[in-house]
Amino acid sequence: MAEKMVEKSTKTEKMTKVDKAEKTEKTGKQEKLEKAGKVDKMELAERDYTDPKNYVNRELSWLEFDFRILNEARDKSILLFERLKFLSITASNLDEFFMVRVASLKDQVHARYKKPDIAGLRPEEQLAKIGEKTHEFVNLQYSTYSRSLLPALKQQGLCVVWEHEDLDEKDGEFVDRFFHENVYPVLTPMAVDSSRPFPLIRNKSLNIAALVQKKGDEKEKDLEFAMVQVPSVLPRIVELPEGEDGEHRVILLEEIIERNMKDLFLNYNIVSAHPFRIMRNADFTLDEEEAEDLLVEIQKQLKKRQWGEVIRLEVEEKVDRRLLKILKRELSVGEEDIYEINGPLDLTFLMKMYGMAGFEGLKSPSYTPQPVPELMNDDDIFANIRKGDILLHHPYETFDPVVNFVRSASKDPNVLAIKQTLYRVSGHSPIVAALAEAADNGKQVSVLVELKARFDEENNINWAKMLEKAGCHVIYGLVGLKTHCKITLVVRREEDGIRRYVHLGTGNYNDSTAKLYTDCGLMTCAPQYGEDATAVFNMLSGYSEPPTWNKLSLAPLWLRSRFIKMIRRETEHARQGRSAHIMAKMNSLCDKEIIANLYEASCAGVKIELVVRGICCLRAGVPGLSENISVHSIVGNFLEHARIFYFENDGSSEVYMGSADWMPRNLDKRVEIMFPVEDPELKERVIHILKVQLEDNVKAHILQPDGTYEKVDKRGKTLVMAQNQFCEEAIANARAYSAGNDVYNTRVFVPAEA
Amino acid sequence: MVRTFAAIDVGSFELELGIFEISDKNGIRAVDHVKHMIALGRDTFRDGKISYRLVEETCGVLEDFVRIMKEYQVEDYRAYATSAMREARNSQIVLEQIRVRTGIEVKIISNSEQRFISYKAIAAKEAEFQKIIQQGTAIVDVGFGSMQVSLFDKDALVMTQSLPLGVLRLKEFLANARASAEVEHSLVKELVDNELMTFRKMYLKDREFKNVIAIGEPILTLYYKTEAGKRKEQLTAEEFDHFYARIKSMTKDQLEDAFDVNGEYAQMLFPTASIYKRMLDITGAQMIWVPGIRMVDGMAAEYAEDKKMLKFNHDFSNDIIVASKNIARRYKCQMSHVQAVEDSALKLFDTLKRYHGMKSRERLLLQIAVNLHACGKFVTMRDALDCAYNIIMSTEIIGLSHVEREIVANVVKYHDQKFRYNEVEVSAKPSRDSRLVNPENLTLMIAKLTAILRLANSMDRSHLNKLADCKLNVRENQLVISTDYSGDVTLEAISIAEKGDFFEEIFGVRPVLRQKKKV
Repeated sequence: MAEKMVEKSTKTEKMTKVDKAEKTEKTGKQEKLEKAGKVDKMELAERDYTDPKNYVNRELSWLEFDFRILNEARDKSILLFERLKFLSITASNLDEFFMVRVASLKDQVHARYKKPDIAGLRPEEQLAKIGEKTHEFVNLQYSTYSRSLLPALKQQGLCVVWEHEDLDEKDGEFVDRFFHENVYPVLTPMAVDSSRPFPLIRNKSLNIAALVQKKGDEKEKDLEFAMVQVPSVLPRIVELPEGEDGEHRVILLEEIIERNMKDLFLNYNIVSAHPFRIMRNADFTLDEEEAEDLLVEIQKQLKKRQWGEVIRLEVEEKVDRRLLKILKRELSVGEEDIYEINGPLDLTFLMKMYGMAGFEGLKSPSYTPQPVPELMNDDDIFANIRKGDILLHHPYETFDPVVNFVRSASKDPNVLAIKQTLYRVSGHSPIVAALAEAADNGKQVSVLVELKARFDEENNINWAKMLEKAGCHVIYGLVGLKTHCKITLVVRREEDGIRRYVHLGTGNYNDSTAKLYTDCGLMTCAPQYGEDATAVFNMLSGYSEPPTWNKLSLAPLWLRSRFIKMIRRETEHARQGRSAHIMAKMNSLCDKEIIANLYEASCAGVKIELVVRGICCLRAGVPGLSENISVHSIVGNFLEHARIFYFENDGSSEVYMGSADWMPRNLDKRVEIMFPVEDPELKERVIHILKVQLEDNVKAHILQPDGTYEKVDKRGKTLVMAQNQFCEEAIANARAYSAGNDVYNTRVFVPAEA
Repeated sequence: MVRTFAAIDVGSFELELGIFEISDKNGIRAVDHVKHMIALGRDTFRDGKISYRLVEETCGVLEDFVRIMKEYQVEDYRAYATSAMREARNSQIVLEQIRVRTGIEVKIISNSEQRFISYKAIAAKEAEFQKIIQQGTAIVDVGFGSMQVSLFDKDALVMTQSLPLGVLRLKEFLANARASAEVEHSLVKELVDNELMTFRKMYLKDREFKNVIAIGEPILTLYYKTEAGKRKEQLTAEEFDHFYARIKSMTKDQLEDAFDVNGEYAQMLFPTASIYKRMLDITGAQMIWVPGIRMVDGMAAEYAEDKKMLKFNHDFSNDIIVASKNIARRYKCQMSHVQAVEDSALKLFDTLKRYHGMKSRERLLLQIAVNLHACGKFVTMRDALDCAYNIIMSTEIIGLSHVEREIVANVVKYHDQKFRYNEVEVSAKPSRDSRLVNPENLTLMIAKLTAILRLANSMDRSHLNKLADCKLNVRENQLVISTDYSGDVTLEAISIAEKGDFFEEIFGVRPVLRQKKKV
């Protein structure tokens, strides 16, 4: 014991003294290098891994991510309707980005919060850069829409009528009738004059603003402001009667309303009318990543404000300047926050267009998740887990086993208890139903429901109440922490005593998103995992930490130091001249401590290959800093979501999966679990997943030293498209398994066992 | 057959629940374990009673324990409370509250029972335990408020002693001192040495020690918080020295990092290591074993033993007897006489089984009473009985509950004076799972044991062990004590006749001495 303790404490000491160690090491190296006469002092100065200039601002990196999605919308090799979908995603992404991130930065500015971010930028500097880049982004969005997608759609027989002015007489009559029958009854026109104040305009709603003039007052110059909200209860896309050659034609709802504005304000002449849309800093949900002192400050600020301030105003490009002036004044929005749009506002309607019937050839054929070979037999799921750990790779493989796991447990007479963490579940979740049934069947059911899941609170509260009514023990989250880990524990009484079955995952227990998000899961009944799982739920119920963990690492208490330790272990190996390699896949990478350690590892010679879908504050491939680090980013039909970590560890490699990204919020403010994959065969499969993703040269973008992303140069290479390859592999695996049991193949009848 | 058992420890700083599976095949297997910090001790030690607020919290936690017990469908449980509850004035009310609210019946156990349970947990690790105690071994149980040292010599427990040295106590003392790290280290050493030196003078003398077994909550922190999987349970003295030196050189922050504990615990690491370090130095032990057990483990072991699902190779009853013999020796009792009385008493007990209906636990108490019956004379010959009573009541006899200690003390007190039924006092209440045959009527039981001890004592009235080979037979209403001894047994005969009335009053048989005539 003492040996271990001593060893460990030396390590820790090393950690705490790392800065010092870095410095002494630097001077040591400096001497060597200066002797070699290769490097001048300037370059050495760059060796300060924590220097802000070695980092990328996370918001700008996020915008880069949206750019990559936009790239997919611009990629002509992709099916047209898929491109519509990608464009729609960029728009909804941007909306969320504004509501959460930009709003938060605005708050910081108002609170006079000056603390620079990871890249050394103060909030106002960040806002300025974001504004600049967002304008550029929006321009590209709309040029993609009007110059690329609209013509292509027309070619495929779908015509989007740009403006109501373009309608011919017949169509005009059609839309007017449509207006009076369907739209008019739900509209609430509002005029503004001295007796009626400027109305409250709802966040994210689409509106039409008009300048109006009282009839009979034509000579006077008094113009009044009037507006009407485009009702969100009606579909935005209105189909027109088919054209001569059977062409599908559609027009947007706001155009129809604009055309009929005069009927809404009968006593007025409409001078001009234009759609506009605002985004408010209104929902007051603060991102948990900001410092707590900031939170208090912001709350004070919020009280002073009556409405959430407007942080973005979108208007038509050719908007009447007088109208814009009124909007600008009434909404008190700055010049930099105004976006003049050349096209329809709010492109999320494209998702609806994707859903239009009749263009199936322009959409990717839907993929059916494949059965898991280990479970393709008549044994129950528990018997199958007892045969060995099972790895699940969604959505290539079906999510059914996870649902089935809970469902079987709810009915199995030997099951004593089911415990699960639920973060975001689908509307009619079969898992929630199974849990309720289990409680009904007299099982002890404990569920930790995370209510703080963004945008999902209400949904969560409803079914949590339902579970409680069914007799489940429901824990409504933890104070100050979000429970983000995904773990299910089934306690079963078997002949030789209690046995525990555990499912650990990288994605939420949500059967709908499991069809779209790529995630991994592990099912096991290894006692050490079971003990740890029990300890996790004991801790989530408020009990003290267990004396020791066997396999799992938990945030916020142990995970960060665990990662750092493993990265440093590779660094150590590289320094001693041994081979050292890290592969890691995650959604976001923006933790400064981790990045600094990766830089250090890179400089020591560790090969670091990262697959980061979204935000990445690390600079890759910078000489003298990160030349051994590469960052790949895959944007595909499925949303990359799994977190996988590989460490070479001098030949006895370790593979982990988990729920945490390398982000401060994951490591410090959330309950997360990282778990090892130890079965040699499964480990190989997980490493295979990483390798194929790193080989992807169709969907992958590579992060350049300057912070931009570029697609891989495909010339002379076999094309690798990771997501497609995984689909094919899953199909082949399932087929190979059923072929093995196929009478036509084996030409042998197999008697069923009793 | 697998049996599920729950052990609840209502401790001074924590409430703990352990769920165990006990089977013939796999022995005892821990299935689940939860801990909840709740400082009952702080209330008791400060105000002498437990506040309503804490009772409330305790009930809440215990209710949740019940939920967990249901989850595992446990078939039986034991719930023990230790010093905080033991010393609280309102313990009876608190326990009743707990019973009504949660359905859990908590038993207050004595310090010596508590320690004994720990030994059973160690002993459940059979192989190592048996090996280690072949040589002189000290079990050192350092707690937050006090420590307990128990000595094993040649396979048997010989002595146990409680010392007022606990890590929390030391830590708080240091907090007041506000000394530099350097001074702090020497302060701890002096404090520890002061207590331990006295202890050595009184009890260790020339005994030789090879091993220390370290148990108790604080050492667990040191034990578990090292790198998982590669724990080493046994260290040489030299290895421990290195370890101690490391801890000594670390700042509080470094300790927090290295052992992954909060500041509160970090500050207790050095005092903990110090106590063990000094213990190793003073005893000269070469090896320290940290078996990593806690009270709930011991409770499971005890339960398994009681239910005959587990058999210890180690004879715990023998420990208790050896320990009581050592107490007798300390008070200079004449051991040959003690041995003679013990033989006779046990013979009487076994012969009269049908007449007294008592079982092994009572037999053990009788044996202890015999061993201690004359210890009062060490203090004064005149009030020897009262002195003996007081000595027994203030001596820890390992493995005995408080009730049992009172029984022994009363048996000794009345063995040589008139038995006054109405004056026999037993203040403690026997628990739900008492091992006594008839815990409802303790006075009667004391009377029975007293009668046996009295007769056995008179059978060696001359202290010459004349009746060593006597035979006992019950014929009609007589207990016939027949002996081949050829010398004079007048003293014994008179003495036996004297005690005859009381004996007959209790058992309905009259003792008669028959000396066989040599042909």
